[in-house]
Amino acid sequence: MRFDAQRVSLWMSATFGGILVVAFLIFPGFFPPMSPTMSAQEVADFYADNAPLIRASMITFDFCGVMLLPLFTVVIHQLKRIRTSTDVFAYCYLSAVTSGAALLALANLFWLIGAFRPERDAHLVQLMNDLAWITFTAPVGTMVAQNLCFALAVYLDQGERPVFPRWVGHFNIVTGLLVIPAACASIFTSGPLAWDGLISYWLRLATLGTYMIVMFVVLRRVVAEELAEEAGSAEGDLALAVG
Amino acid sequence: MTATVRPAPVIGGVAPGDRLDLRICWWITVGFYGLFGVIFVLLARVMPPPGADLSTEQIVAFYADHRTTIKIGFGILMVAIGGAAIASGIVAYEMTRMSVGKVFVYTYIVSLSVGALPGCLLAAICCLTATFRADLDPQVTELLFDITFLSFVGSLGCFVANYSILALAILLDENEVFPKWMAYVTIWQIVTELLAAPVFIFRTGPFSWNGVISFWEGTALFGIYMMLLIRLVRRNITTPAAVS
Amino acid sequence: MRRRLLAMVPSGEDLDVPGSINMWLFVVGELFIFAFYFFVFMMYRTHATADFVGSQRHLNLAVGAGNTVILLTSSYLVALAVQAAREGSHDRARRLVRWTVALGVVFMTIKLGEWAYEVRHGYTFPSDDFFMFYFALTGVHLFHVLMGLGILGLVLHELRTPALQRQFVVEAAGTYWHMVDVVWIVLFALLYVLR
Repeated sequence: MRFDAQRVSLWMSATFGGILVVAFLIFPGFFPPMSPTMSAQEVADFYADNAPLIRASMITFDFCGVMLLPLFTVVIHQLKRIRTSTDVFAYCYLSAVTSGAALLALANLFWLIGAFRPERDAHLVQLMNDLAWITFTAPVGTMVAQNLCFALAVYLDQGERPVFPRWVGHFNIVTGLLVIPAACASIFTSGPLAWDGLISYWLRLATLGTYMIVMFVVLRRVVAEELAEEAGSAEGDLALAVG
Repeated sequence: MTATVRPAPVIGGVAPGDRLDLRICWWITVGFYGLFGVIFVLLARVMPPPGADLSTEQIVAFYADHRTTIKIGFGILMVAIGGAAIASGIVAYEMTRMSVGKVFVYTYIVSLSVGALPGCLLAAICCLTATFRADLDPQVTELLFDITFLSFVGSLGCFVANYSILALAILLDENEVFPKWMAYVTIWQIVTELLAAPVFIFRTGPFSWNGVISFWEGTALFGIYMMLLIRLVRRNITTPAAVS
Repeated sequence: MRRRLLAMVPSGEDLDVPGSINMWLFVVGELFIFAFYFFVFMMYRTHATADFVGSQRHLNLAVGAGNTVILLTSSYLVALAVQAAREGSHDRARRLVRWTVALGVVFMTIKLGEWAYEVRHGYTFPSDDFFMFYFALTGVHLFHVLMGLGILGLVLHELRTPALQRQFVVEAAGTYWHMVDVVWIVLFALLYVLR
């Protein structure tokens, strides 16, 4: 079996993504999600009562969150294979993905800091909790930009054999649109748009989860096609050289 | 190559009409910076920044007065911030056309995409958090206020790295993707970052985060820089490929 | 119209100015920027002249004057170097540029020593408005000296390589270094001398 950097990247992201899901399930604040309407004392009590689980899940998140990045770098490599007039979308994508990863890392730290001193003032714990949730939920712009660049690249593919099927472009657009409302989690404390609401929380997480799985499958196929193409042309060159 | 004829910057031999991906990115960039201005100046009212010497009560009043527009403005920024990635991507692409190779490109991208966090998003997130609850403790509000403006005006290193690498690339580039004088305009940005460093020390005067040197001059020069950069990219996009 | 303007600015070698038109643009821009700092300094000084003069006494005029002489000498040397390069004596030019760099380093060392002295005697960046300006302005100037040393280092490389030895590079570096000197003279006048 050929060990290809892309395949390794995809499986790394899949593995760490899987661990990340477990961490999410363990985190006491996620299922069900904490409400923004909790009072400062309630939040402080929550952190004090659940400190061990919060720390365990969030430390795991700390390790695994940014490890989703390799999957996106495979996307960047494939974007460069697409025959548009320039590579610009690949560079935009890289920029967006980097910012997004940094945000994820920051949100995670806020949760951990909130759980660090149980004796801290309740409103300071609430502050860390607010910052964590808002940073985790609201900045959807990087994902919107990524997906837009990806979709545009797919639509503008002028190659004889397009790298990605068109529906993947549509899928990226739809995903981007579905997460946009989550930005309102920074504004509302209750309702479906709040950080625990149907749209900002459940829909967003379901969308992102589905997105990662679908992209993983698609990318595996695309990488396999790329390798087959390379092998085919290498054999052709060999045939020419020999015969 | 004679000195009298400047070679037209070629983009992959493709005619301007076909450079749709670049045109789209360019328009998104322009739209983003326009929106940025509207959000930061008109809606969130953080440009120009409120004084670094405000009392706690005045700080609480600032957020109370502008609560709605801050929420709307920065809420929009949460969605629109991707425009910054596209802006850096299109300049990064131009840098790939330079003769210096791709290493500088990666520094450029990474420095900007990391810098977006302390330099822009942290300010927005802290403002949104400060206006999130109506009954927020004044001391906490004041802390968020400090984080907002110190990070917005005071995040220096990412951008110094960014400007340095761009200036170097332009000066070393033999393909004249950007004119040499743009490198010098970029170097001025480094100087403005240097003079923004004192914001961590002074709460009044020209070197505070709303000071005439650290903020006003820096922002004015940045505006000039950005307009020139956008214009130069546009010129490159619309230039016909050279006939060999 | 803007595009035509942009297209009109040629690369360094084309125009009939000593050195590089781009460097001249840079220098003029720098002078404007420094002029703005000086303007702000004078505005603040006018409102608190007595305080400024009082703090100014803690600066050492002799050291400032010494630094001025050093920088002036280095400017003279770099001018000689430009002339030598023009005549084709690249070795002599290199020697002169090396001396310029040496003097630049001496200037920086003295400046840093001066800073250390002031700080040790309790006059720091946030002490008062005068010292705020003092450290900020000399600090920005020092950054420009550092850049100048980098540019001169580039010139040394240029002069050493027979394939290069382009005149406009040497001239441009000279222009830049003169600007650094001019800015310092104004700084010296405003910070050390003006009463």
